[in-house]
Amino acid sequence: MISPELLLQNSVDGIFLGLFYSLVAMGLALIFGVMDIINFAHGDLLMIAAYFVWLTSVDLSVDPTVTALLLIPLFFIIGIGIFFGMIQPVLGKEPLIQIAVTVGLGLILQNIALAMFKAQPKAVPYSIFNFSYSLGPLTIYASKLFIAVISIVTMYALNVFLNKTYIGLAMRSTTDNREVAQLMGINTRMLYAVTFGLGVALIALSSSLWMTFGQVQPYLGTSFSLISWVIVAMGGLGGITGVVYSGLIVGVAESLGSLFLTPSARMAVVYIIFFLVLWFRPRGLFGRR
Amino acid sequence: MKHKMRSLSSTAIIAIVVVVIIVAVAGIYLASRGGAPSTTTPTTTTTQKTTSPTTTATNTSAYPKQIYIGLVEPLTGNYAVFGQEAQQAAQLIVDIINNELGGIKSMGGAKLVLVTEDAGGAPETARLAAQKLISNYNVPIMLGAYVSRFTSAMAAVTEQNKVILVTDALVDSLTQQGWQYIFRVAPKASAHGKAAADFVLDMAKKTNTTIKTAVVLNEDSIFGTSVANGAVLELVSNGVEIASHITYPYDISDVTPIINQIKQLNADVLISVPYFNDGVLIAKAIQASGLKFAFIAGAGACGYTDPDSIKAAGDAVLYYTNTYSYNPARPTQWNQKVVSAFEQRYGKMPTEGAGIIFYSLMTVYEALEKAGKMFPNDPLSPDHLKAAFQSLDLNDSNSIAAQLYPSGHIKFDASGDNLYPLTAILQVQNVNGTLTPVVVWPEAQPGFSPIFPRPGWTQTK
Repeated sequence: MISPELLLQNSVDGIFLGLFYSLVAMGLALIFGVMDIINFAHGDLLMIAAYFVWLTSVDLSVDPTVTALLLIPLFFIIGIGIFFGMIQPVLGKEPLIQIAVTVGLGLILQNIALAMFKAQPKAVPYSIFNFSYSLGPLTIYASKLFIAVISIVTMYALNVFLNKTYIGLAMRSTTDNREVAQLMGINTRMLYAVTFGLGVALIALSSSLWMTFGQVQPYLGTSFSLISWVIVAMGGLGGITGVVYSGLIVGVAESLGSLFLTPSARMAVVYIIFFLVLWFRPRGLFGRR
Repeated sequence: MKHKMRSLSSTAIIAIVVVVIIVAVAGIYLASRGGAPSTTTPTTTTTQKTTSPTTTATNTSAYPKQIYIGLVEPLTGNYAVFGQEAQQAAQLIVDIINNELGGIKSMGGAKLVLVTEDAGGAPETARLAAQKLISNYNVPIMLGAYVSRFTSAMAAVTEQNKVILVTDALVDSLTQQGWQYIFRVAPKASAHGKAAADFVLDMAKKTNTTIKTAVVLNEDSIFGTSVANGAVLELVSNGVEIASHITYPYDISDVTPIINQIKQLNADVLISVPYFNDGVLIAKAIQASGLKFAFIAGAGACGYTDPDSIKAAGDAVLYYTNTYSYNPARPTQWNQKVVSAFEQRYGKMPTEGAGIIFYSLMTVYEALEKAGKMFPNDPLSPDHLKAAFQSLDLNDSNSIAAQLYPSGHIKFDASGDNLYPLTAILQVQNVNGTLTPVVVWPEAQPGFSPIFPRPGWTQTK
């Protein structure tokens, strides 16, 4: 018998998890929305960033969250480097060629991680957020709450960026119609580079948050890639709103699926919802095109 | 028109993404159930090539100069953590046999040559790896493959080709399939679960701690289930109520819902059977939740007490125990020597993956010596080797392999299992400010004793 307290607890945890998933998927949605590039290396970039978090935290004895200050600019530059080195040559090419390039990048990253760090998962053995407190019948995990708050703040900031800044508006207009945006004088090449850099920087932030309670191993990226694609596809290219709602659905479904069925079946619930959404709304919940 | 094309292209992209997600989910599901098609998971195969494969394995007129020993372990993929250590251990033991023991003396000092193949992430890859070792090297004996469903796949090939398979996989049923050429020195999975329960019950009795209820938590592979079932049976037969038996996939990324559920149950003891990935997450989540147990006992040798888990989880795993198929602190001459050599060569303590290979491969050495004596004209024929294995009765005084084994006694029953299995219990303790795994049960290593119940826990019921 599931108590109301447990139902409430799992719902709250699901919301926290969903907000984090939204943040993870945001970079992917941004890149896909602006550039029409399917970045299958998304999760693997998160995995590599998580190794950076682990190395930096352990070497400098700092909390994983602090590493975000270093990692966000670093991965922004790395993202731009990847764009010019690997993505730009396949822009406008067949989707399958783009998939091959990003899948290849993902495999390279996986094997680099395997060679450098072996298969043993790495985790940061301390975090200032590794505690919980009681709120009535609820146990609030500090790390999850912090992650949720940072996710909300980041997505709000991203929303402001996309709506109020020149680059943000350029990104949105390019998302809507690339040719018209080019005719209006937008330098799409640089815009793509910045978009890719920003997407990868968001991944770096996600990895810093993830490492407050999670761990990293060379195959971590696969599950995050899958979840991110589910969120983006389910949200439809509806901007931040679609990703947030979709992320929340995935997070709550996973948490309640674990409660009502078994932890082993939790992802089945997520994928059933995913297929139902696409069955009834093939362009996703907030799809515009 | 162009806009329409882009719209079509976007639809095509979404369709591709959906198809890829379906294939990936199906692949992961099948892989976790043991039926993954080989094409879904790209794997890398590594082979340690030998210098000159000039000899045949079954030379009746003269002893072979070298004997190929196959090793199939997961060197890539989610299980690589154990496979890589097993490979390191195998190379060390082969070097000891060749350089310190002078090879197989009963076969004129024939040297062992280790040939390794990657079992990858799917049973089919393990089967192909076993097939390759037989085709390329005609190996008379093979070891592997840690993961039980990989071993099952390998056994289909080894049985057909009459190759001796000494397995380091622990699922009970592996030796109950009617296979003729399989041997297992290590204690089977249910023995691990039983040992964890026995340890808790024994310590509760010694410390006057009342244990009425337990939660059993295990990753949902055949291995995790076999270990957990061993613990459940032992607990129930000793009057402990199982408040809940929860299973989860080993690659779970967030264990919070499970910990929430456990918290509601208010049980005395948690018996947990993790793999490696999940153990750190569980320990950290329990620590963050403030959940208190009289004791948290791991079972099945994966996670919690190995050096990498301690590094990753920090003091979240303090006082956790786990059952081991190997006792690195066993004070026999050869055990100390091998542990020291492993630490010197690889810079880390040998854990489960290495330990099982230590005594399994040294048992292979003993069997080869025996085969050379029993059947000097054809020592490597499958049935002669099988007879040699079955005739072994090894103990601390007559064998190196036994000195490496927790019970100090190795003798096979008709099914190929060791008649004298024993697991050791390791506990993470704070030794001079460093979290260190120490052997505490059935006999504690000198200078240590089990810490039971967990400090900070008080009996409330």
